[in-house]
Amino acid sequence: MAEPRSPVSASVPHNPIVLAAPEGSTLEMDPIEFTLRKRLPRKLPKRRNDVYVNMKTDFKAQLARCQKLLDAHREICIHGLGLAINRAINIALQLQTSSQGALQLAANTSTVELIDDLEPEDPDEAGEHLTRTRNNSAIHIKVFYPNP
Amino acid sequence: MPGAKERMREKKMKNQPRSVQYSSRGQGSQASGWVRGHQAEGHRYSQDLPKHITASFFAGARAAEVSVMLKAVSKPTGSCQVFTALPKHMRRRAMSHNTHRLPLRLRDAALRLAERSQRGPEKPPQAKSRSRRARRRHTHLLLEFNRRQRRSRWLETHIWHAKRFHMQNSWSYRLPHTPTAKSYRASYRAMDTHTLLQDLSYFCCLELQGPEEQILRALSQLTSKQTGPTFAASVCLSGARVGRLLLYRAGQYPHGALGPVEFLWRPRAPECTHRQLWIWIHPALKQDVLPELQAVCQCCESVCEVSASSSAAAVDELRNRKRKCTADAAELPAKRLLGDGTRAVGDPVRWESADTHITISDLTMEIVRFRLIGPLAHLVLTDTLHAANEEALRGVCVDADLHQQQRDVFTQLRGVCSTAELPAGCVLGLTVSDPRLTLPQRRGKTVPDLQHISTESSHARDLTLRGVPAHCSQSALWDTSVRDHVTDSRLSEQELNRVRSDVLVPGSAVCVSGVCAVPLLLLHQPGRVCGQERLRWGSGWDLLLPKGWAMAFWVPLVYRGVRVGGLHMSVKHAQFMAQPHFPHDYPDCPAGERCQSEQEAELLEKFKRRPPSKRTNYVKHGCVAPFRCPWQQLVDEWAELVELGGETQSRAGPVQFTVLRSVSVLRQLSAWCSSASAVTPAAAAALHQEQQGALLWVRLRLLGKGRPELHAAVCVPTTSDLQQLTDGQSSGPQEPRHPDPQPESEGSRSVVSHCSRRTLGWVQQGDFSLSSGRGEALAFISLSGLLQMMIQHQRSLVLLRNPSSLQYRYAHVYIDS
Repeated sequence: MAEPRSPVSASVPHNPIVLAAPEGSTLEMDPIEFTLRKRLPRKLPKRRNDVYVNMKTDFKAQLARCQKLLDAHREICIHGLGLAINRAINIALQLQTSSQGALQLAANTSTVELIDDLEPEDPDEAGEHLTRTRNNSAIHIKVFYPNP
Repeated sequence: MPGAKERMREKKMKNQPRSVQYSSRGQGSQASGWVRGHQAEGHRYSQDLPKHITASFFAGARAAEVSVMLKAVSKPTGSCQVFTALPKHMRRRAMSHNTHRLPLRLRDAALRLAERSQRGPEKPPQAKSRSRRARRRHTHLLLEFNRRQRRSRWLETHIWHAKRFHMQNSWSYRLPHTPTAKSYRASYRAMDTHTLLQDLSYFCCLELQGPEEQILRALSQLTSKQTGPTFAASVCLSGARVGRLLLYRAGQYPHGALGPVEFLWRPRAPECTHRQLWIWIHPALKQDVLPELQAVCQCCESVCEVSASSSAAAVDELRNRKRKCTADAAELPAKRLLGDGTRAVGDPVRWESADTHITISDLTMEIVRFRLIGPLAHLVLTDTLHAANEEALRGVCVDADLHQQQRDVFTQLRGVCSTAELPAGCVLGLTVSDPRLTLPQRRGKTVPDLQHISTESSHARDLTLRGVPAHCSQSALWDTSVRDHVTDSRLSEQELNRVRSDVLVPGSAVCVSGVCAVPLLLLHQPGRVCGQERLRWGSGWDLLLPKGWAMAFWVPLVYRGVRVGGLHMSVKHAQFMAQPHFPHDYPDCPAGERCQSEQEAELLEKFKRRPPSKRTNYVKHGCVAPFRCPWQQLVDEWAELVELGGETQSRAGPVQFTVLRSVSVLRQLSAWCSSASAVTPAAAAALHQEQQGALLWVRLRLLGKGRPELHAAVCVPTTSDLQQLTDGQSSGPQEPRHPDPQPESEGSRSVVSHCSRRTLGWVQQGDFSLSSGRGEALAFISLSGLLQMMIQHQRSLVLLRNPSSLQYRYAHVYIDS
C-alpha cells in the first residue's frame, strides 16, 4: 500500500527534522507545526510499451498486462520506484521464467528526486511554505526478445 | 382527470346543437330542461307536458335544430378521419394513405382530406417579416442578440457554445450544460491525460482597494483560522499564490456559513501600503457576500461613475432600440454588448467608505476566466500563447525587465511534464500577442515534446521546487484603464481576415503592425490536495483575460486539441476530486438552501410527470425524503439518540446544524476512520459535546457492486450484517418492504429509525467512478451517528441504499483532510 501521508502529528517522536530550505541553508523545524504533503514523482511521457508498476494494483493483473504487451511488442520497459522495485523485479523474473528463457532482461537503476511540501499549520504567522527534496531509488528493467 | 374529460366532451360537443332545450318562453310552466339518464327516484319525464303548442313557434325551433344537426352530420369533427365512419372490423391498415382501401362511398371524402393534410394546416396570415438575408445582416443580428440578452446574460463564447451544447438558464446567465455530442468518458479522459477547457466567465469578481491593515481587519471577521488559511496567509498576501477559503457571516463561525471564495492579492508596489484584492465568487453567492462585505468594510456610499462605461452605454442603446429601429438610416450602428448586459444604467458598481478608505468594486463580467484542467494544460498554454514583442508593449505599460523575466518563466514551463508538479496555486502574469495571429491551419493536438523536457529540465526543476517568483505575478490586468484600453483596441475579425487574405503563402503567420498586446494572469489550480488517493488529480490553470478577448483566445485553445466541458463537467470534476461543489453541496449556506429548494421542485416535477402506476413507491421502499434531505431533523434525532444512549448531559436544546470544517478535527476523524479501533468512548463523547449538530462530508467507496444515486441513504450496519460480510456470503442485506399505506401507529415519521437500519445521512453526489472502477459517493452524515457507530463496531463500514431500491450495499468511509 502507499505510505499514508502522515500529517506529522503527535505520533511522530519529537526529534526535529532537518530541512533543506529552498535557499540552501538548513533549518531545524519543530514537526508539530507543519503538515507534510508529498508531491507526485516526476512523470515522463509514456510510450505504449512502458509499464509503471505500483503497489495498489493487484500483482497478477500487472503481470498479465505485461504479458499482453509482450505479444504486441518485442520489448517492454518495466519501471518501479521505491517500494515497487521489488515488485518490478518480481514481474520481470516471472515473465522470463514463463517464457522458458526466450526473454532477456536488462536492468538499470536510477535515483529519482521527490519533492515534499511542508505547509505551516498557522499560515498567517509562520513564514513561507517550505519545500524539501529527497531521493528515492528506481529501477528500469528492459524485457526483450533477443534478435535472432 | 376532470380537466381532460371536460376537454374531450367539449371537443365532442363542438358541432352539436346547443339549443336542445325546451325553451320556456311563452309556455309558462316548463322550468327545467332535459335531464340526462334514468332517474333513481322514479322521476317521470312526462309529468308536466305543456297544455298547448304554438305551431309556428314550435316548427321554427325544430327547424333550427334540424339545420344544426344536419351541419354536424355533414362535417366531421376536428381531426377526425373519414375512415372513423366505418365500424372497427372494416378498418384496414394504412387506409389514410391509400384511399383505395376504403369503400367507394367514402373515397372522395378521403381524397379531399388527404389533399388538405398535404397542404398543411392553414396558418393565420403572418405579419410579413423581413427576408432572411435582411434578418441575418450584421447590425440586425447584433440587435437581435442584444435583445435576447436582456433576460439572461450571455458569455462571450455564447454563440460558440450554443451551437454545440445544451444551454440552460442558471443564476441569470445562459450557460452550457452538456455537449450535444456524446462525450462523458472522453471528457474524463481529457481531464485525466490531456486537457479540458471550460468558460468560467460567469464567476463574479469583487475588487477591494485600500490600506492593507484596514482590509485585513475588516475581512478577518468573515473568516476563521480553524478552517485553514485566511486572507492574511503570508504566501497569498505577497500575491504569489491564489488562496481559497470559506466565508462566514461576520463573527458567527461556525454558524452562518456563506460559501467558498477564491482570492488573489495584487503584488505590493514599492513604498505603498495601498493594496488591491480580487475575490472571486460564484454568482449564486453574490447576493449574500456583497452586503456582508459592505457591512464589514463600512462601505455604504455608492459611487456613480460619470464616465459612462461601455456596458452602460450599450444598455442605454438597448433601451432605446425600438425608437432607433423605426428611425431612419441616421441611427447609430448597434454595438456588441460587452460586460454585464443586464445591469441597469443607474446600478452602482462601486462603494467606498470614508472611515476605512476601502473601495469595493463589482467587476462582474469585466474579466474573462477560462479554466484548463488536466496534466497537459501548461503545454496547451505554451503552445497557444506567445509573449508579446517589445514594440507591442507600449500600450500596456509593462516594465520591459519584468516582461523578460515572465517570458523566461513561461518558456520554462515547457520543461515541466505535468501540471501537477508545480507548487499549488502559483500565479504568473504575462503579456502576450494576439493568439489569432498564430492560429494553426487546422485543429491538432498538443503532445509533450521530449526534447523540450530534456533541455529545460534544470530550469523546470527550479520552477517545480520554488514556484514562480513572487514579482512575476504582477500584471497590467489589474489596472482598469489598461483593461479598457486593451478591450477597445482589439483587432476585429473582419480586419484580421483582410490581412490574412493578403498573405502570400496561405496559412503562414500573419504579422500586423501596431497591434496591442494583451495582459493576462495565469492561476494554477492545485486539484486534489486532500486525502491519500490520486493526489493532485484535476490540477490545471485558470486564464484571466480582459473582457472582449474571449473568442480570440477560445478558438486558438480549442485548436490545440482540448475538449470543452460545460456545467455538468464542473460537477463531475468536483466529484472526482471528492470536493463539495458549490452551491449544491453547501446545505448550510443560504445559496445552498436555495439550490436545494430548486432541486426539490425539479425532482418533484419529474416524479409527477410519470403516470401514477409507473412512479417509484417511496413509501414501500421506506424512503423518507426522496427529494430533499431534512438535515436539521437528522441532526436533532441523532443528538437525542446519543443522549438516550447513556450520557445524561443537559443540552441547551436543538442546535442549528453546521457542516464540520475545522481542519484539526477533520484530521483527527480521518485518522480514526483509517483505524477505527483507535476511537475511545471518552474522546468521542468529548468531540460530540464540542461539535453539536455537526454534519460531516465523507467519501464512500462501495466494496462490491452497486452504483449510488442522489439521496441514497447511508445507514449503520447491524452486527449480523458485518458478520455476513466477513463470511463473504452476501453483497448486502435487504430492507423488508414497508406497508403502504403506512399503519397509523407510525404517526411521527422518524428520519433516523424509519428503516430496519438507522440512517446516518444521505448521498449528495454518487456515481460509478471512472477513476476507481467502482461506485463512489460523496455524502453528508451526522457526526454523532458516525462516532457512535465507530465505537459500537470498531470499523468504519456503512451501508448504502438507493431511494428506489431495497438492496443495501457495503461501503467504506473515508474522510479526506
